[in-house]
Amino acid sequence: MSQHLVCLGLNYRTTPVEIRERLAFAEKDASVAVAEIRALPGFDETVVLSTCNRVELYASHSHADAHCGHEALREYLTRHFDLTPEQEETLGFYRLASTETARHLFRVVSGLDSMVLGETEIFGQVKEAYKKALDATTTGRVLNKLFQQAFTVGKKVRNDTAIQRGSTSVGSVAVDLAGKIFGKLSECRVMLVGAGEMSRTCAQSLLSRGAKSIIVSNRSHDKAVELAAEMKGIALRFDEWEGALHEVDIIISSTSAPHFVIKPDHITQVMRKRRGHPLFVIDIAVPRDVDPAVNEIEEVYLYDIDALQAIADESRRERERQLAICEQIIEEQLDRFGFPILARTQAGANPASALCPKADAR
Amino acid sequence: MEDNKWLILSTLAFAAGVFHALIALRRGTWRESRWHLLPMALGFVLQTVFLYYRGQEVGQCPMKSLPDILVFIAWSVMMLYFVVGSGFRDSLLGVFTAPLLAGMQILALSLPGAFAPYLKKGPVIALVELHAAVALIAYAAFALACITGVMYLLQERLLKRHHIGGLFYQMPPITELAKSIRRLVFLGLLLLSAALLMSLALRQPVSNPKVIFAIAVWVLYLVIALLMWRRVLSARQTAWLAVVGFAIPFFSLWIVTKAPVP
Repeated sequence: MSQHLVCLGLNYRTTPVEIRERLAFAEKDASVAVAEIRALPGFDETVVLSTCNRVELYASHSHADAHCGHEALREYLTRHFDLTPEQEETLGFYRLASTETARHLFRVVSGLDSMVLGETEIFGQVKEAYKKALDATTTGRVLNKLFQQAFTVGKKVRNDTAIQRGSTSVGSVAVDLAGKIFGKLSECRVMLVGAGEMSRTCAQSLLSRGAKSIIVSNRSHDKAVELAAEMKGIALRFDEWEGALHEVDIIISSTSAPHFVIKPDHITQVMRKRRGHPLFVIDIAVPRDVDPAVNEIEEVYLYDIDALQAIADESRRERERQLAICEQIIEEQLDRFGFPILARTQAGANPASALCPKADAR
Repeated sequence: MEDNKWLILSTLAFAAGVFHALIALRRGTWRESRWHLLPMALGFVLQTVFLYYRGQEVGQCPMKSLPDILVFIAWSVMMLYFVVGSGFRDSLLGVFTAPLLAGMQILALSLPGAFAPYLKKGPVIALVELHAAVALIAYAAFALACITGVMYLLQERLLKRHHIGGLFYQMPPITELAKSIRRLVFLGLLLLSAALLMSLALRQPVSNPKVIFAIAVWVLYLVIALLMWRRVLSARQTAWLAVVGFAIPFFSLWIVTKAPVP
């Protein structure tokens, strides 16, 4: 009996989020889904990958050709999520077979198909999806080889290139810089001067990476109290922030003041009390809140929104430059391993299989 | 002279470590990894073999000529490098250490009359040998503080000027570098104090230039350590002191090894 390796999927490029979210498999449903797909006529192996950015069904089947397998998987999804014909029309599926499936999985695992190029979370998500299928015994010779190979390629791409270096968002850049200044963030205290959306994002990024505590000071004290409560921090009245400056390691400023709020005099006094401990100042406000002369003070590191954005942009460009090297590694790995199982089975494909007309007839 | 091959091989191992790291940094593929230890460990083993044969040849711990002293300090730097902590070993510290070691050993090999047999083989006094070894390990701690100081100044410059690129991501956090400089200076001072106390027990004449220079270096680093302890200077100024300060013990070695021993 011949075997075909296929992938039916949709992602953030092909399908809008309001449609994608309808097709997302809940964690426990994925284990059931792999068993259901495996039970479909002609299907030998399957793995279901469902994340916020993609839903992909990988399978090995013995239908007459890849197209029949794709149709069976599409019908399964329609049935499983109870989609109307109108909803089905809006689905932007991609249908991949054989080497294209392998190439696609290698790119996915390496983060090359992700919304944020080179992100690493997808590697763990694919591993989790594969583990679920493995536990449900819905994988076999073909998919085991494919996924094991994909993990090897993913590691190689990350180790041999700079695809994941740097951060591509302002919040992540701020966290990276804080890490390179203070090491562990668990002893770092953060102060928000002003409570804009961007400063909230930065503060949340720092807290998620273990920052110790947060102080919020805003002209509208109610807003400061609200934000402090949300972040389990302390709210200060706006005329009190200067007095608390020496207690913090990171200042994020984002007021709407038309003039400099934080001046060299403030920081010089603070640095005397800090006894050689550095201070990281993030100025997200436009017009700027922090006098640029603050960066001239010893052990004070000032970054405004343009500086953070420029670093994020450069990281993105660097990742794009690395893309060609990554693609080359993937092609080399595809050539090197050649998927002998597939090559053998495709050579012996049987177009007269009885399963295909059934799928086509639907 | 046959034994120089071990030192040459050791120097090549350190040079290979630098070469590999520079290529990787240039390509943007440098990662923290225990594999970076391989050329360093190999270089250290070869250094040790060289020192063993050299000790056999001169019939004592080989620390009497400048080339021998340079190699012994390089060996001590490696010893300290292995106890500094894996976080630093696996990061760029190795890359910054290797060129210094390779440079010291190339200098040792290229000095005229390098590794000639000692003219006088006096009686070996264990305390004298220990005193000299501890003093040289103290100098190695100052050398490592110097390297860490260079890393601090580089990282500080990148942070201040917002040059956030390949090298920046490979360097340890700036506060960790500042702490390491302080620890290494304190360690070196402690070891040098111990070496000087041993020399007191030997009742060496104060006019001995080696002892005079050792006391001068000890005073210098005592001042540096006090400034660090009291946090009188900024971390950047401290790093500069660690870098520039090492020039004094380094060049003093040159002078004292040329001075006649009374």
